[in-house]
Amino acid sequence: MNEGLADKLYLLKYNIDDESHLVLKNPERCKKCESRECIYRCPAEVYSWEGDHLQIAFENCVECGVCKIVCPDCNIDWRYPRGGFGVFFKYG
Amino acid sequence: MASEQPFTAQADKLDRLEFDVVIVGGGCAGLAAATVCARAGLRPIVLERGRPGNKNVMGGVLYTRPTAEVFGEFWREAPVERSVIEQSLWVLTEDSALKIGYRSKAFAEGTPNAFTVLRARIDAWFAGQAAAAGALVVPNTKVEEVLRDGERVIGVRTSRPDGDVYAPVTIICEGVNPQLTQQLGMQGEIEPRDMSSVTKEVIALPPEVIQDRFHLAQDEGATIELFGDSSARLLGLAWIYTNRDTISIGVGVSLNDYVKTQVTPHDMLQRLKAHPMVEALVDGGEVREYSSHMIPEGGWNKLPQLYGDGVMVCGDAAMLVNAVHREGSNHAIWSGKLAAETAVLAHERGDFSRRTLANYWHRLYREVPTIRDLRKYRYAMTYPEKHRAVLGAYPDLASYAAREMLTVDGVTKREKEWRILRQALRARSVFGMAYDAIEALRLI
Amino acid sequence: MHLIVCVKQVPDTTDVRIDPETNTLVREGVPSILNPYDAHACEEAVSLKERYGGEVTAVSMGPLQAVEALRDCIAIGADRAVLVSDRAFAGSDTLATSYAVWSAIRAAEKAWGPAQVILCGKQAIDGDTAQVGPGVARRLDVPQITYALRVVELDADANTITVERRVEKGLEMVVSPLPCLLTCVEEMNEIRYASLPNLIRSLRYEAVIWGVKDLEADPTLCGLKGSPTAVARVFAPPEREPGEMIEGETAAAKVSGLIARLRERLGQSAPVN
Repeated sequence: MNEGLADKLYLLKYNIDDESHLVLKNPERCKKCESRECIYRCPAEVYSWEGDHLQIAFENCVECGVCKIVCPDCNIDWRYPRGGFGVFFKYG
Repeated sequence: MASEQPFTAQADKLDRLEFDVVIVGGGCAGLAAATVCARAGLRPIVLERGRPGNKNVMGGVLYTRPTAEVFGEFWREAPVERSVIEQSLWVLTEDSALKIGYRSKAFAEGTPNAFTVLRARIDAWFAGQAAAAGALVVPNTKVEEVLRDGERVIGVRTSRPDGDVYAPVTIICEGVNPQLTQQLGMQGEIEPRDMSSVTKEVIALPPEVIQDRFHLAQDEGATIELFGDSSARLLGLAWIYTNRDTISIGVGVSLNDYVKTQVTPHDMLQRLKAHPMVEALVDGGEVREYSSHMIPEGGWNKLPQLYGDGVMVCGDAAMLVNAVHREGSNHAIWSGKLAAETAVLAHERGDFSRRTLANYWHRLYREVPTIRDLRKYRYAMTYPEKHRAVLGAYPDLASYAAREMLTVDGVTKREKEWRILRQALRARSVFGMAYDAIEALRLI
Repeated sequence: MHLIVCVKQVPDTTDVRIDPETNTLVREGVPSILNPYDAHACEEAVSLKERYGGEVTAVSMGPLQAVEALRDCIAIGADRAVLVSDRAFAGSDTLATSYAVWSAIRAAEKAWGPAQVILCGKQAIDGDTAQVGPGVARRLDVPQITYALRVVELDADANTITVERRVEKGLEMVVSPLPCLLTCVEEMNEIRYASLPNLIRSLRYEAVIWGVKDLEADPTLCGLKGSPTAVARVFAPPEREPGEMIEGETAAAKVSGLIARLRERLGQSAPVN
């Protein structure tokens, strides 16, 4: 029963768009961020710190909207994916 | 009626996609609104960014009465899971559960009280009803912005080529991320305290196993709400609902509390599933789906402006959720229905200004008792914040008290009562407890 | 110009699970989609229409719910759609399917004019046979260009089409007289994001539905009767054993580890150093 998150995300059906629907308004500002709330609060591990920058694995996004709200700097230009793209739940 | 009086705000209608009502979002609110509009003879268009149901997530209890007001005796043909006959509340500590429950077969008789549902299935059925009534439900189409003529909303712009759609009235049912509502200045900035973050899993188990573990007959269902250790003592609520051949298990925690920790929402759910009492219920199941969503918990103080010139806002986008009593989809359906009836009235009067659309909010407040509850509970979400003992010490005390009174060990009941009291005073002062209690009474 | 595109509705195989106990495909609750290669064929037909003028007819055979796949074709920009649906077609193998589709094309030509180009996907993702397209070409007695990658030119005056096709070791440029049948690969184009008016038209579109009688088809060549082949069994192949990683500090150590493992397999003892 203690499956990892990656296995669970693998169960989801996605139609992945070419471009990310999650964009940082100013990636430089993230370097000064201490809390990095987006990394801890995202339920799908979309955000990770890679060396010197914030990496966004938008293709994992389950479209909850938490990252936008918790970002202390309001630095995420948050939107839903284009119509017909993103995650498609089978149960919901 | 209205279909014969085309909207004439601007010229050159031939090139324009024009409808009587534009509905943004094909969830409970939007599909209820579309069904009501179409049955009244209007031509509504629903713009849904996914396929109906596939983007929607909720805990999983659908109340019958509001749903039936729009969709009749839906449970006879709609893909509902189980009719809820038992509801329990568990107060959890690390290794115990104090259980309070009510069970009655009467819940399932006549018009059943509530059903467990899976949104992907039930919303697809609602969409079928809306389409059958004559609504045009457009899938895979996202609304990017609201189109305005001065102050008045005249339609929406989608992300598709040639994607502008016009109508004299727009009903926004965009869900928990109210981007359009904010764009219109009808809702302010959403803060962490206004939302709770939910993680949920749907776990497959054979129907017989579910029935056995929850003591249910074939179509009967049970719900359990969990409090205390289930959300690691953070402000939140967890739940376990029985579906036909799956169990929905989820935990929601206020973002305001989450941000103080480094627990991820996925860890929170794993933690819940590992609790010995919970583990026994989901043991051996296969995870079919993991999902996440937010619940709007801003309540009364965070209600947006619900109507404006040519526009109304419904459902989660309007924050119409009673977080304490897990009511949201019922308000979504009710608000969708009343917004639709107001749109019909507006078409009859030929007046789409806020003066006519105000009827929507007036009726919602007057006719839906649970909307008035939102006002009553307006301090409910700040209560556990001020009274941390509710989440921290009290579950432990309750567990201690129950264990003490139920243990036969040669100590008199009177001595046990003293022990419990001493334990309580160690956890919280008399004044503290009195304060917690008085404030709690003010809530009820 | 009349362009006909042949499409199939298939289960979304990315959604199909295999029941570990019975080893069979679990199709319950699996959504149906337009076969992705056919979607590319339709896109190509619509872009040919935009380049050279004409009309696009989409044709499919299947149960009534297959109209949904045809609606997707209308959203992409097809002008009309025909579904061939009849109990008599049930149980068709690729031979009987190519007969039914050929009959439908013949009837569509009678109704809307002779076709210059017939487009199919290179194969369907459920059966993976890649036989129906070539079968239809044979019955129509027209040249076929399989694995078409790009339509370089369609010359109406010379009545020819120039197509780049993918072959094992590169590309091949083929000039063919019209009419001609193409089977399309997915690299051929990018399927457009349908405009809202086209999407709305597709949602409201009612496909033309033809049965055996409308096609004047020979019932003995349709469905089970016309199918010399049958599926004996569907099963998941046994899972392959995972590969073995040979660890070692240095490349040399890894190589000697590998040699030792190979000798072990061959039943030889290690050489004496």
